[in-house]
Amino acid sequence: MVTPARVPAALDRPLLVVVGGGGVGKTTLAAALGVQSALAGKRTLVMTFDPSLRLKDALGVGEAARDRGVRVPLDAPGTLDASLLDAKATFDRLVSKYAPDPAAADRIFRNRFYRDLAGTLAGILEYMAMERLFEARAEGAHDRIILDTPPTRQALDFLQAPDRIVDFLDSRAVKMALDPIWERDPRSMSLPARLAARAGMEMADRTLGRRFLEDLVEFVRAFNPLFDGFRDRAEEVRRLLRDEGTLFLLVAGPGPDRIPDAMFFLRKLKEAGHRLGPLVVNQVHPPVENPRAGSPDLHPGLRLLAHLGSRDQEGLRQIRDLLPGPGSVLELPAQPRPPSDLPSLAALARAMLIQLDN
Amino acid sequence: MSVLDLLARRRLVVVTGKGGTGKSTLAAALGRLLAGAGRKTLVVEVDPRESLHQALGVEPSGGEVVQAGEGLWIQNVQAQAVIEGLVREKVPVPFFARKITESPAFRHFVAGAPGFKETAVLGHAYRATRGHRTPRVEVVVLDAPASGHGASLLAAPALLALAAEGGQLGEVAAELAAFLADPAQCAIFLGTLAEEMPVQETLELLETLDSAGGPRVAMVCVNALFPPLPADLLEAVRQDLWGERRRLQERERARLRDRWEGPLAELPLLPLDRGPALTRDLATRLGEARW
Ligand SMILES: Nc1ncnc2c1ncn2[C@@H]1O[C@H](COP(=O)(O)OP(=O)(O)OP(=O)(O)O)[C@@H](O)[C@H]1O
Ligand SMILES: [Mg+2]
Repeated sequence: MVTPARVPAALDRPLLVVVGGGGVGKTTLAAALGVQSALAGKRTLVMTFDPSLRLKDALGVGEAARDRGVRVPLDAPGTLDASLLDAKATFDRLVSKYAPDPAAADRIFRNRFYRDLAGTLAGILEYMAMERLFEARAEGAHDRIILDTPPTRQALDFLQAPDRIVDFLDSRAVKMALDPIWERDPRSMSLPARLAARAGMEMADRTLGRRFLEDLVEFVRAFNPLFDGFRDRAEEVRRLLRDEGTLFLLVAGPGPDRIPDAMFFLRKLKEAGHRLGPLVVNQVHPPVENPRAGSPDLHPGLRLLAHLGSRDQEGLRQIRDLLPGPGSVLELPAQPRPPSDLPSLAALARAMLIQLDN
Repeated sequence: MSVLDLLARRRLVVVTGKGGTGKSTLAAALGRLLAGAGRKTLVVEVDPRESLHQALGVEPSGGEVVQAGEGLWIQNVQAQAVIEGLVREKVPVPFFARKITESPAFRHFVAGAPGFKETAVLGHAYRATRGHRTPRVEVVVLDAPASGHGASLLAAPALLALAAEGGQLGEVAAELAAFLADPAQCAIFLGTLAEEMPVQETLELLETLDSAGGPRVAMVCVNALFPPLPADLLEAVRQDLWGERRRLQERERARLRDRWEGPLAELPLLPLDRGPALTRDLATRLGEARW
């Protein structure tokens, strides 16, 4: 390399969070930024969600990286560690770590809700990513963490996960579950309360079945000792995500179709108090110079290329209008082949970062 | 065999697949195709960022049923609204119904109870096949969430049936699970692109659904294929993008065919933006697919 690698001041932060919809290239860009950061001398950790086989190969991380950092073999002044996030494994580890004793951990592992549903429970993947982030930060072994985010239906789910957990822990539903009506001494309740409780129980029993309620109560109870820790850590993560040292990079697909989504997301991030870095428009097709582009006898393949080129250029024009100012929109060309080794990841990062230099 | 033959007697078609691969477009095209063949069709969208209406050139649904052509309707359906509707049915006094749906315990239960929201959405589609609160349609096409969430969606009724065994909710969930797993009534469509990650996800989803013993995939649809370009033209546009993509595409098609021997339709990437023209073109091609 001729010039030493560097990361432009605009992105030189201890935590970069890469967000965006499914299939826009978040994971690849997070990896590329990681490589660049290590080349620039930083001890870097990239935390990622299901990378492609190709990307795993490129980083040289296999299953060993599931849920813990693995050193990427890279000849650089800094270092690069990569870890793959696995919600269930993180959850299991948390339970083992924070349960008051092995018996309590065992109760949780055996609970039907935990066994069948922990993996599919809404928001768990998102929340577990936050837990991992917290752990990695607490270890303090890295100058920079780059966090890839899971593809969520509403990408914002992810960022709201800590809020939701705290909210849930404070909710009446949890308090009720910890002190279920059917275990209370009826003499301790007033008559109206007793009647209301009985009516409520009967209705719940009829619609949900007693077993559902009992399992749910057992689940919440088994978890209770862990809850305080959850709340504290969720609070920390909330703060961290709004910290001065944290920057969000939104990645979007090209074309005017994608603009409303990107703008919506940017607005939501800002409203939630996060700091925004540049918007990265990925996979932009080049314009096609063809004098006959509009003619009907054009080969369908050429017509398609011309269409994609003009569609993506129009999308870029519109988004630059909406987000004026130098360095607020970065564009990356559609690649013939996704980056499949460390040099091509570094090249991708350079192609992106060079746009911040002038 | 054609798509119309395959779907001739089905009442529910669930479209899922990796995010951004064209699920909504495919759902709209299927709706067009079915309605064009004379079957009254409702396309249900669950994504709160509505886009289905654009594919069919009508106003956004905002939760209402909107007509999108002869024998074709669309509706955007949010789980929360469905559940609140159910409460209102059970509790006819509006004041009490509101008290329930606004209580924090209820809201947290709905958000947190596993499989509950998913089951509500499927339940809505199920009831729509019986003309409940919607036009009397013969078939419902569900534009489901992307794979990960799509798999949880399909598994939700069976899980809930187990969890709430013995209650009314459990019974309803069990009925729904049986309906979903009945290939005479339901079809699952997987949309994908001929690219590494989408094909990977498709193969994983096929495996998950297979091993779960629940609903089975009826058809896979490979969307947005790059057409071939003659060598001299390739030369002329000087884009190695094209040749490379075609190579990857062929590799991924082969990988998919290796594992999936069932019905498969392939659709080209068309030089059209999201809208009725694109949907119509894709519907025609889907109708012409044979295997
Ligand atoms: N065969 C095709 N030819 C041209 N454009 C297409 C084709 N299929 C889909 N598209 C376009 O691709 C974009 C994404 O499609 P669509 O919204 O249907 O994807 P999706 O899978 O529903 O996405 P999401 O996961 O975000 O819901 C849209 O702009 C759509 O018009
Ligand atoms: Mg969609």
